[in-house]
Amino acid sequence: MASFDRASSARSPLIPLFPQWGRVSIFELALILTCIALVVVRLPTSFQDVLLLTYMFAGLALAWNIAGGYAGLISFGHAAFFGVGAYTSTILYLNLGLTPWIGLWVGGLLAAVFGAVLALVCARLRGPFFILSTLAFAEVVRLGALNWVSLTGGPEGLSIPPVSGYANMVFTSKAIYAWIMLSYAVAIYAVTKALEASRFGYYLCAIRDDEDAAAAAGVNPLIGRTAAMALSAGLTGIGGSLFAQYFLYLDPTFLISPELSFQFALLPAVGGLGTAIGPVLGSLLITPLSELLRSHLGNAAAGLHLVIYSAGLIVVMLYFPGGLAAAIAKLDWRRRRS
Amino acid sequence: MLEVKSLDAFYGSVQVLHGVSLHVNRGEIVGIVGANAAGKSTLMFTLAGLRTTHTGDIGVDGEPIGHLPAYERTSRGLILVPERRRLFPFMNVLENLEIGAYSPGARAQAKQTIDEVFALLPVLAERRKQVSGSLSGGEQQMLAIGRALMGKPRLLLLDEPTEGLAPIYVKLLFDLIVRLRESGLTVMIVEQNVHHVLRTSDRTYVLENGRVVLEGEGQSLLNDERLKIAYLGL
Repeated sequence: MASFDRASSARSPLIPLFPQWGRVSIFELALILTCIALVVVRLPTSFQDVLLLTYMFAGLALAWNIAGGYAGLISFGHAAFFGVGAYTSTILYLNLGLTPWIGLWVGGLLAAVFGAVLALVCARLRGPFFILSTLAFAEVVRLGALNWVSLTGGPEGLSIPPVSGYANMVFTSKAIYAWIMLSYAVAIYAVTKALEASRFGYYLCAIRDDEDAAAAAGVNPLIGRTAAMALSAGLTGIGGSLFAQYFLYLDPTFLISPELSFQFALLPAVGGLGTAIGPVLGSLLITPLSELLRSHLGNAAAGLHLVIYSAGLIVVMLYFPGGLAAAIAKLDWRRRRS
Repeated sequence: MLEVKSLDAFYGSVQVLHGVSLHVNRGEIVGIVGANAAGKSTLMFTLAGLRTTHTGDIGVDGEPIGHLPAYERTSRGLILVPERRRLFPFMNVLENLEIGAYSPGARAQAKQTIDEVFALLPVLAERRKQVSGSLSGGEQQMLAIGRALMGKPRLLLLDEPTEGLAPIYVKLLFDLIVRLRESGLTVMIVEQNVHHVLRTSDRTYVLENGRVVLEGEGQSLLNDERLKIAYLGL
């Protein structure tokens, strides 16, 4: 996973050129500046849509990666945390008038509690059994959202009044949403880098790589797995709140869908599991590709955009089995060897 | 120090250990020998609290620890060096050592303990920034022991520490075990390298099909005809 990063971290200069474990590189700084520039230049509205979705999914993929990539908790149920965050801030806003700026933190906290409970309940499950349990967990949450009509609006969902204002977190300018989504992604990137540099990050990797050996060395796998899942779920929940404030409508069949959960997992898998840069690269490649194919080919022939999208994914997986991050790390390794 | 009574251990529904009873006194080196599949590693895993389910009593200094998970047993000084080292290959030597100092007590003394480990195992100091997966087998074994020492063990459980090592490292390893005992550590060692174990240990237990079939001082067992013929193929 992150072998090249870690193996080289001892010999590299103050600010490395390419991404390394626990350190910020010139490549990453340049990428962030490019992302900022793309917001500043005011792209056409349709491109701004794609841009802010790309940033949002980068943040969500980074959040998923904390559990799936660093702690080895492959989850296909993260849409549940996304939904919990979205519903919590929206319900608090609609029923109590609480500003979404505070509601998103409450949503994140509640999603973190859900994540911790899931990790504790599934503490003894590994591999496919854990994956299936996360899928089932999300289904339970989805059915709850569909049937608790008085709270969630049931199948009809919830609408947020489109009254623009800073306090409502509703804006007419897409650029502001793009700034918010970019801030969200950069903040989770910073959390991920801090995790890599921390003792806790090493414990997580130890648990992921060899749980028995980690436990024999004294590491408490239950605490590590629970904390990782809670952090990942909480950050995903915050993303759900931001999503709600952008689309102003919560549809439970989309919000807590397996497709969305797969999307959260797919982006880090393509970009590079267990690396900070991987989920970002995955989102930068996959989200615009998916959106552009849908908008340009969606009406031409039914399903054609999905065929091209899937073919693209297969090519990436075939040629970059460790993800795009591993390909960059390999490039860096060759550069330094030569 | 360690008291094991009527220990039965299971992998799922398969029983591997049958009524094993043994004890280890403070400051002793105790060997466990036996043929393949005798249950030696299962015994170590069970003592360390990993994977197996068991019935029977395990106690350290009079305190029952059989119900505790592995990480709580390490904080009570019972630390396993697993078979085949089980290092974290993408982490460097220093990072592997730091993983071993997880408990608050061990973490508070981590810097001092690292210096002690480096003094005891100078090869690790030389390679402190090297990724552990690129170390030789012998160096990896030293690192695995170093990682265990970081947890401030009172009883060190060594599972097949010489497996796959060159003869020079086997000798170095047993010298190290003697030095660890001299520093006050209690050691329990599972080994197929019978000669070395019997010569180094104070007492040795012989396991066969999950049962203790012989027990005695190392030297006397070396001369035991039953052991030579039935269990050790000497």
